[in-house]
Amino acid sequence: MRSFVVAIGVFFGVVASCQADTQELQDALGLVPDSENGAKVYGLCANCHKDDGWGHTDGTFPAIAGQHRKVIIKQLADIRSRNRDNPTMFPFSDPAVIGGAQSIADVAEYISRLPPNPAPGIGPGIGLEKAKEKYRLTCAGCHGPGGDGINDAFFPRLKGQHYEYAKTQLKWIRDGRRRNANWAMVVQLKGFTDEDISAIADYISRMPVE
Amino acid sequence: MATLKDISRRSFLASGAAAVAIPAVSLAAPILAGITTRALGLPAAKGPRAVIVGGGWAGLTLAKHLRSGKPEFDVVLVERSRIFHSFPLSNLWLANEVSLSFLSHSYIDAARNHDYVYVNTTALDADRERRRLYTSHGYVDYDYLILAPGIDYDYERTGLEDPEAIREVSYRYPGGFVSMSEIVAIKRKIWDFSGGVFALTVPNDNYRCMAAPYERACMAASIFKKRGVKAKVLLLDMNNAITVKRNGFTRAFEELFPEYIDYQSSSEIASIDPFNRVIATDFDEYPFDDAIIYPKIRASRLIENLGLMNPDAPQKTATIDTFKYHLLDNDRVYVIGDARSQAFSKSGNTAKTEALYIARLIAAHATGREIPWEGPQTMCFSAVRLEPLEAMSLIANYKYNEETDAFAFDKVHVIENWNEQIATAGKVWATEMYRDMFYA
Repeated sequence: MRSFVVAIGVFFGVVASCQADTQELQDALGLVPDSENGAKVYGLCANCHKDDGWGHTDGTFPAIAGQHRKVIIKQLADIRSRNRDNPTMFPFSDPAVIGGAQSIADVAEYISRLPPNPAPGIGPGIGLEKAKEKYRLTCAGCHGPGGDGINDAFFPRLKGQHYEYAKTQLKWIRDGRRRNANWAMVVQLKGFTDEDISAIADYISRMPVE
Repeated sequence: MATLKDISRRSFLASGAAAVAIPAVSLAAPILAGITTRALGLPAAKGPRAVIVGGGWAGLTLAKHLRSGKPEFDVVLVERSRIFHSFPLSNLWLANEVSLSFLSHSYIDAARNHDYVYVNTTALDADRERRRLYTSHGYVDYDYLILAPGIDYDYERTGLEDPEAIREVSYRYPGGFVSMSEIVAIKRKIWDFSGGVFALTVPNDNYRCMAAPYERACMAASIFKKRGVKAKVLLLDMNNAITVKRNGFTRAFEELFPEYIDYQSSSEIASIDPFNRVIATDFDEYPFDDAIIYPKIRASRLIENLGLMNPDAPQKTATIDTFKYHLLDNDRVYVIGDARSQAFSKSGNTAKTEALYIARLIAAHATGREIPWEGPQTMCFSAVRLEPLEAMSLIANYKYNEETDAFAFDKVHVIENWNEQIATAGKVWATEMYRDMFYA
């Protein structure tokens, strides 16, 4: 059963990512990354995501250290092509500011190699048991039981993410405010209350990071 | 004295509720009576009608997003200007880092691209019972009235009482935060300045665009330096310290412009003599050769004209619901943008993100729903030097303190190690904002 869910998830993910395809995404995925230049590009990112890429517990800027390379490339390309509304990050991720497809490939490589945050900000600890079950049924198929995600399917790694950030993004995906979200995920989240979402984000934030 | 509202009531009484059009008779003010009995003559409303007064960052953003939301509002934007000029980045225009066409955009483009009605007219009065706004071109009925008229100067709170002195100061030493004509005049003053003391004032009490006066001092100093003019920028700050990006601006003044910028804090202005060119503070007198006098500010006079001004509010704002922005006794009339009473930063990104929330809020109200409060976000870029252009930035949110019933900055992220990337990011930010308000 689980492999079936994964298959559907991957299928939807591919469909979603194809729909959202940009030339830059394809270009960046095909380039050989230069981690040294990635470190240079990351200098600007570090102002908000911090030198270690662990972000802020208050949810303003996510933890990105250790995120899958392809996930980072896709999110950067989506923000730059306005497929994902992120007005805060838009000015700082523009090609005129950080460079073209090669820079995305380079910085994604660099970020993916940063050690992830072992102790992200967690939630209030309410409804975790129920959230565990909801996660298993609706999230684990794509993001994995331990929140590992899948690089090749552009499914983000969740473990190590701050509760506040995960909560906000889940709400935005449910409410249609994160336009590049996988539509299967939008459908699944439709019936979730704010409390459900808070508990799931909380559960995610407590996943063990090796 | 009869107000426009009284006149309109009288003329409506005179014409009665009959369907037959009877010319309004008002001996007191026939022209005003004409305005009050003539509709603007707009296309039939396509949905609940939202009339927005003021096409600044808040009004333009709200117009677009009310139109494209659910329900689809019929939107009428009432704006007295014939063209939009951006105040954000106008300091870069002073330094020839962006062009005037970069800052200037057409209300016609905005209205056509976003399918709403733009009326180039001036709002005069409103009848809130009848839900009718009067303009200098006639009236328009609304389901929702959103006032986004911005600010006016308050010279009376800035050491000036005599109307002649106020006029002289506003013409000779314009502040550059209300109209583009001021900024054009300021640019000429900076580039023509032949030397001596060039005074700039920084008001207190949550003035519009906190970083801009300090940035402007850096731009003026850079230009004087480049031109080889022997000039001193005298920066008289009514605050007891630099109000924002303090470490960055302090370092910029000391490292980049030690010979050019003379920063004086706690300089509350006691009086200004525009004829003999002297600014007096409580402690000192400062003679100057030329100046940009940024006085304290207040909510637009429209708020007062509509009878909405809270006489106890220092900035002459209306009293509105802290989270829902409507008048306390009327949930069809809203005040947003820099005329709001909440102490958010008065700046473009703040007004714009606020308007996104207001669009959702009014859409929810129209469908009998409630949505949780979302605070605006402030995002601000400040250039400190030219050749190459380098800037700092700030991103901030707000939190509400129940005990003090006030908002304070929250989750503030400042980049004070100025660099070229941030300067470029600032231009990208502005371009994207114009795109959203006018084109996309």
